[in-house]
Order: sequence, then structure tokens, then C-alpha cells
Amino acid sequence: MINFGFSINKPRVIDIDNNNLRKSNEIILEMPELQACIGCGSCTASCTAGNLTDFNFRKVHTLVRRGEYQGAYMELNKCMLCGKCRLVCPRGINTRGIVMLIKRKLGDF
Amino acid sequence: MKHIVIIGGGIAGMQCAVELSSLGISATVIEKEHATGGKLASWHRLFPSFTPAEDVLGELRLKFAKAANISLRCGVTATEITPRKVTLSTGDELECDAVVLATGFTLFDARIKEEYGYGIYDNVVTSADLEDMFNRGEIVLKNGNKPRRIALLHCVGSRDEKVCQRHCSKVCCVTGVKQAIELKEMFPTADVFNFYMDIRMFGPGYEEMYREAQVKHNVHFVRGRISEVSPTIDGRLQLKAEDTLTGRPLKMSVDMLVLLVGMRANEENAELAARYGLQCQESGFMKPQDNFMHNVESNVEGIFYAGTITSPKSVGETLNEATTVALRIKDWLQKQ
Amino acid sequence: MTFFALFCIPFIVGATLMFLSVVLKYFSWLRQLPTSDMILIAKGIFTPRTLSAVWEIVCESLLHRRIFRRNVVLGYMHMSLAFGWFLLIVVGWLETLSYLGTEWVPLQGHVFFKYFVPLNGIEGHKPLFDNVMDALLLFVLSGVTLAWLKRVRSRLMGMRRTTKHIFFDRIALSALWFVFPLRLLAESITCAIYGGGGFLTGNIGTLLSQHIDADVLMALYEPMWWMYSSALGIFFVAMPFSRYMHIFTEIPLIFLRHYRLRPAAKTKSYDNFEIEACSRCGICIDPCQLQSQLGINDVQSVYFLRDRRYNMLQQKIANNCLMCGRCEAVCPVGINLNTLRQNSRTTMRNIPNEGRYNYLRGIDLSQGEGRVGYFAGCMTLLTPNTMSAMQRIFEAAGEKVWWADKEGSVCCGRPLKLSGESDSAQKMIDYNKSLFEKHNISTLVTSCPICLRVFREDYDLQGIEVLHHSEYILRLLQQGRLKVGYSAEQRYTYHDPCELGRGSGIYDQPRAVIEAVGILLEPKHNRRDSLCCGSSVANTAINDAQQLTIARSVADELEATGAETIVTACPLCKKAIARGTKHSVSDLSEIVAKNLK
Repeated sequence: MINFGFSINKPRVIDIDNNNLRKSNEIILEMPELQACIGCGSCTASCTAGNLTDFNFRKVHTLVRRGEYQGAYMELNKCMLCGKCRLVCPRGINTRGIVMLIKRKLGDF
Repeated sequence: MKHIVIIGGGIAGMQCAVELSSLGISATVIEKEHATGGKLASWHRLFPSFTPAEDVLGELRLKFAKAANISLRCGVTATEITPRKVTLSTGDELECDAVVLATGFTLFDARIKEEYGYGIYDNVVTSADLEDMFNRGEIVLKNGNKPRRIALLHCVGSRDEKVCQRHCSKVCCVTGVKQAIELKEMFPTADVFNFYMDIRMFGPGYEEMYREAQVKHNVHFVRGRISEVSPTIDGRLQLKAEDTLTGRPLKMSVDMLVLLVGMRANEENAELAARYGLQCQESGFMKPQDNFMHNVESNVEGIFYAGTITSPKSVGETLNEATTVALRIKDWLQKQ
Repeated sequence: MTFFALFCIPFIVGATLMFLSVVLKYFSWLRQLPTSDMILIAKGIFTPRTLSAVWEIVCESLLHRRIFRRNVVLGYMHMSLAFGWFLLIVVGWLETLSYLGTEWVPLQGHVFFKYFVPLNGIEGHKPLFDNVMDALLLFVLSGVTLAWLKRVRSRLMGMRRTTKHIFFDRIALSALWFVFPLRLLAESITCAIYGGGGFLTGNIGTLLSQHIDADVLMALYEPMWWMYSSALGIFFVAMPFSRYMHIFTEIPLIFLRHYRLRPAAKTKSYDNFEIEACSRCGICIDPCQLQSQLGINDVQSVYFLRDRRYNMLQQKIANNCLMCGRCEAVCPVGINLNTLRQNSRTTMRNIPNEGRYNYLRGIDLSQGEGRVGYFAGCMTLLTPNTMSAMQRIFEAAGEKVWWADKEGSVCCGRPLKLSGESDSAQKMIDYNKSLFEKHNISTLVTSCPICLRVFREDYDLQGIEVLHHSEYILRLLQQGRLKVGYSAEQRYTYHDPCELGRGSGIYDQPRAVIEAVGILLEPKHNRRDSLCCGSSVANTAINDAQQLTIARSVADELEATGAETIVTACPLCKKAIARGTKHSVSDLSEIVAKNLK
């Protein structure tokens, strides 16, 4: 089956009004460079784990920034922390640090 | 008669000299190469109207040749620059009333982005190489075949912290779309893919050209930066990117990859700044007094900037600015 | 003689508490050692290793040979305090012995001997002891003076910076600084009243008696001994909980180390010996590039060990380290700083997750066939010049190669391990190991020193020889399977990658390869002392700009050699240094491929 990134059961809308942005703000406050992402997809394209699974770092951290935390921790557990993404990121984002930070913040979510 | 020394014989320097001449001010243009025209001399056609660069340069050269009180010194460089005197590499000293710096920019060396394979794999070329091929009228792969699938990658050496180039080079987006159309015109059956981050169509007619590329020429636009290029067994190039609009990794093989290289500040800019008390921007381009009423004046009295020495600019913008410089100089000389 | 006076109480209480807590600490640490470590001790204890441990204790704990090699003044300071104090105790004991024979004397009797037995005029007075004891006291006092000077001007001892101490250390430090001057005063006053003493205490005593009234001296006499005893007492009480715990701890540590106990990927009881053997001398601060280039002052090994010891270690401190090993290379106690840092991270972050990385099952992206396997490594996939150079080298040598990861791979696991997820790293190790075994290779060549290290240290590849490409290329050259052209016109400089040099001890092979194609110029910091490029995967705390700052400083040093080409042997170093220089930066394989004949 083609995975279009959504299903019928879950509400698709990202509801910023009702999402709790506290953790997202904490994450951004600790590593403000994450906001510099221009969504070029270099990280995902070079991703060792993304080559083998549907793991998409860009999508996960963007959703987290919008307050969509569901499943983010489990997704990030697919990351091998190899660091290729950090080497290619044109905005100089400390991607490995971000992975660890989001996991730390959302670990108990 | 007042006399101005212009350093750089590209289109900015030439236009500035022509305009100064028409204002009754004499000028000497210093050019390090053996001919005028700068980077434009090797360009094929200009966006968005596909005007041959030769037409623009030809007209400018003609005006330059006809204008009174302009002298040209080719094959020399300036070794010492002050607002009242410029020393040349030949040892000659030129007395003057003001100096215009129109030394332009450097093309980004695509070999620095090693993962794109420029200089490693055949058929990875830069936008400048492609213009050169257009000029020669033949676009062939190393094995002599015609390309059937071509990818163009935007932002090579622009907006990239990893090569210490934070700034947007402004013209590559438009160039990329222009070259895609030209390629499609040459090879109507070929597939052309543009890999972009943001498409910045800032000028008149650019957006229309973009739309034309999409609708009329069926150029494909993929939103995602290519992260790696590797050779395939049959000698083609395999690209890896993320198709960010679908959120999925994308790989494809192409016959040819065109890297739209950005504009980099000249390395000498830092030295200019250090030696003569001028100021550089973070990007390495020179810093004018401000962006508005004094946008062509340096912070040193009597030294002016024209063209891409201060930031990436299109051909049209550069020509306009060169005219502005001439007017400002006249103004400034009258106040002296 | 009873050998007791009221002023001895602070000393007796302090000494008792100190010995009790030290013994308790060691006992509980030893008891908690894992069985494997116990077996190692049992195997080693009755071997010559015990003797060599004793010799090392003399050289290091007393004489401080390693610090001497670093800086003579600094070495002298440490030696005068440690060896001087040790000799004061030994000679003091001999002195008591010579006067009182084998009579049992309590501890305070030895320490305050001059109080209990004013020696002048007694039968069989031995002035030699007086003078030797005075000389030793002077020796220690010179060390105290230097220690004090070091606080004020550390540069005198070749240190740009010295440790910033916490409150408890400051108390112990102040007490220690007072112990010897007070001893001098107490003994001198005693001499002033009763006469006698050696060249130091005796002369000061005479001077005091000439200038100060006898009444005043008498009034000062007891209080001085009280103060001396109290300073000792305070120091002893503070000692087991302060940095001075290192004085004793280094001794069991040296024994255990000679029995081949080492810290491991996960924390264990043995780590305590290493942690508390740190004297917080601060020698690790200066080599740290996070300090020298970025001005980060609270993450260095000395602070990391301190925080870990007092259970106040924060993730941001533990994570902010390049693990380049420059501090480990200079640590006078030889503490395994990188391993301790890594296992701290594991304690903080490791989550045993059985389900994690199950997606690895059955994946095989490898190509080709051959007894030699080539594992480029994730980072090398981003430096295709290295990949194509290796391909040309393999072709020129006529080697049949199995390409493990041309089409992408599974990470070697070391980055994960370094960031503290050891259990998860094991999944990658298991996956890659079975992949290598499945393809039946006999040699595994890698271009990435990070991969190399984990292959060698954690993979346990039976029957597969693991080589870095620098070793492999050198071997091909030596066997004559590869011919390269030499040009004296070509000047190269070489940057030692941390994981290859300090990490794996590979310094000579890449140099030999470079010297086969051209002239090698060494940068200021090289081999064991080489700098880190700043992009180490071990650090997840510093940002891009900070990485660039370090890279630029490294590139500056390499450029200063005047070489046209900067050579390194690690894809990460190559990428990092290339950001900081306009010179061309090549992998070792590239310069070989370019000069193939």
C-alpha cells in the first residue's frame, strides 16, 4: 500500500491552537539553530537509516516544532547517530545534538 | 579635467567609464585580463529574455570605444590604491581625483562540494561550463552521446554554511530556469529536473519565465537538495535527494548534472579592506556606506564601488549601478 | 612516656577519621568489583607485575616523573610536596627509633616528637637528624611556596590555566598550605624556649628568643602546637572527600592497572579508583581545544571527573567533549579519561531497547566479490574522491574487492557508543560482523578511523585482519604491488586524525606513504600531540560556528608548514579542515592514486 503519510482515522490537521507547544519551545530555546532549517532535505537524503527505513529526520523535527510529538521518540530511535546529516546540513544545524535533545525532552512523553 | 581610475574592466567598469565620459570626466580602466568584458564575455544568453550576452557586450564595447577621454590598460593590475593615486604592476603611477573599485566576484569552485563529484565524475558540469558549451554550440556527454536526462542543482556554494557561504547568490535560480529551458529547446525529448530549495524569482519577467519552464517546456522541479552523487555501472550519475514535498527519499540516474555555482566574494577583498581601511561584509563582499543614499560609496572618501564587488547582482542591476556611480562621482567632485 | 597532650586531639581524631574512611572506601570498591576483575587481580598478584607496580609507585606517586618531563618546576613542586612529606614521615620515624629503640610510640608521638622530647642536652643527642629533618621541612616548604605561586601565576609552571576548585577543596588546600609553616613555627618556638634544633628551626628559634620576650614565647608555645595539630586534623578530615584523596588512591590504582584492570563501556566499581586518583592538577585544561579555541571552561576532564565523583554530572558537561584524547595523553596519573567519559554517557543515556534497529535484519547492499573487503564508512560516502582513489589503488594492485557499502551501509556503531547508547551500538556491531563473516573475507580495509577503532576494539573479528587504508597502502607499496612516482617538488603536511593516531597508534604508516610520493613537513603539534579537527562525532554539544573556529585554527597551523597540500586520513578531518583553508586538502589515498605509475 502506498503510504501517503496520513490515514483516515487520525485527524490530519496540525492544530497549532490546541497543540501544547511547551516542549517544542523548550527544544528550540536550547538549540535555536533548529529554526534555521530551510527544509532542503539534505539530512534525509544522506541519512543512513533513511536509506533503509521510512525514517525522515526533517519531517520528525518539523512536526515536533509544531507540537506534534506523537511517535517522534520511536521514530528517532531509528537514527544511528552516524553524523552524515550534520556533515551535509547547509544551515550548520547540530543534527545529532537535536536528535539527542528531542529524545531527552520527549522520552517521557 | 577631472580624472577617475576604474579598477576592473568588466561591464561595471566599462559602463561607469562610458557614463563618466558623457559627464565630461575622463577615466582610465585597469583590467587584469587581456580583454574587457569580464565574466560576461564567456556567457551565452541572458535571462529572462534570452538576449545573447554578445549583443549586450557588443553594444557596450562600441560605446566604450567611441567615448571620449577613456583610456584602457589591459593585462595590468593595481598594486597600490589611494583616492588620489593608483600604482600599477608595471610601476606606472596614475594621478586621479577618485577611484572606482569594480573588481567583480569569483565563481564558486564546485570541487569544494566534493559530494557532488565535480572534477571526479564525467558529465558533472557547472553552470559556467554549460554556458561555454552553449557558446560552442554542442552539448555532448564525454562518450559523445546526447544527454537524455539532465539534472540542475541550485544553491551550489550559496546559502551553505559548510563552505562558509551564507549568502544567496541571487542570480543562480533564474539562471537555472533559463538553462533548463535552453536545454529543453536543444533536446526536446530529454527530461530536465531542477533540484531547488527555494525558487527566488525577484525580477521583472522572471516569474513568467519560471511558469513558462514549467508549463511550456515541461521542466520538472523537485524541492530538495541533492546530497550525494555516485557513478553507476553504465557510466551515468546516480543522485540522492529528498523529495521534500512528498517527504520521501528520491534517487535517480541522469546523464548530466549541472551545478548552479554561486557568486563568491573575491579573496582580495579582505586584503583591500586591511590595506586601505575599507570594510567587508560577513559574506566577504565589500560594504558600502549604506544600502540607500550612499550605496555605491565606500567608507573611504574618494573610493567608490560599482557592480558585484558589493553583492551578487544581475547584469541589468550592475549596469544601472555603474551609471549611478558616475553620477555620484560627478556630484561628489562638484562638492570638493 | 605517655606521648599525649590535649593539643593532639584534633590530629588523632582527624587521622582516625581519614584512615577509617579511606579503608571503608577501598573495601567497598574492591568488594563491588565484577568477578572478571577479581580474577584478573588473583592472576596478577603473585607475579612480577606487583614489583613493577611498586616501582611505578615510587616513580610516579613520589617522584612525579611524568610531570617532571612536562615541566621541571611543576614536577619539582609536586615532588617536593609528595616525596618531601613522605621523607619527613620516614626520617621522623627513624629519628624516634634511634632515640627510643623499639619502644612502641603512638602515631602522635612520631608526629609531634619535637614537642614530647625537646632534644637539646639529652644524652646521645643526634644533631644529624635535626638538620636532616630541617632540610626536609625546607624542601616541603619550597613546594608549598611554589604551589602558592602557581595559584597566582600558573604560567611560571608552564600552565596557562590552573584548576578552579570547589569549596571543600579550598578548605583542604588552605589547611595543607598551613600545615608546614605552622610546623616550622611550632618547632622554632620550641627551640627558642628549650634550645637545640637544626639549621632552620634552631636558628629561627635563636632569632625569636633574641627578639621576643620569654613570657610571650611561653604564651605562644602551646597554641602553636594546637594550631599545627588542628591544621593537620582539618586536612585529614577533608582529605577523603577532597581532591587529596588522590594521595592514597593512586597507589591501589597502580597495582590494579598492573593487574590489567581497565574501565569499560559500562561503569563499574574500578572506575572509582581512577576517578578518585585524579589530583585535579589541571594539566588537562591547557591541551583542551574547547578551552584554548572556544573559551569553554567547565567541561575539561578535571571538572568532568570532579562532577562525576560528587554525583553532580550534567549531560551538557558529559556531552561537551571531542574525546580527542589530548588530555588523556598528558594526564600524569594516566587516567582513561575517554573511556570514563563514554561510560558516563552510557549511564545517562543508555536505554536497553530490544526492538530497536530490528529493521537491519536481512539487509545486504554490498557489491563485488573478493577476499579483501572494503568498508568506506558513512562519512567516506561524502568524500567520493577517496572512494574513487581507493578503487584505482585496488585496480592497480590487482586486488579483487568486496565493496561493503558503496550503495550505503549500516553505521559501524561507534558514534552511537560514543554518545552513550552502547546496547544499541551492539546491534550494529552484530549486524556488520555477520555481514563480514557471510562474505568470507580475510582482510577488511576501511578509510574511516572511527570505523577502524570499533572494528578492532569491539568487533572481535576472528580470522579477519582489520586494516586502515594507510596500513593497507603501505603494505602494497612494500610488497611492490603498487608503484608510485616520487617528486621532491611536492610538499605535503599531515594531520593526524585523533582516532587513528592517539586512538589506534597509527602514526608512522601514513607518514611512510607520504614520504613515498613527496616531502613531508610536520606541523607544530603532531603525532601524540596533534590537534583535533573539531568535527569529532563524540561531541554533540558544540555548534557549527564553534567547529569552524577549531577547524580554522588547525588549518592555520597546517598552512604554516608551507606545504602545498594538506593530507589527512579521515573523511571527517578532511571535510573539517577543508572548511578552514584555501589550500587543497587530500585524503592519503588521493595523493597515492594521483602518483600511481
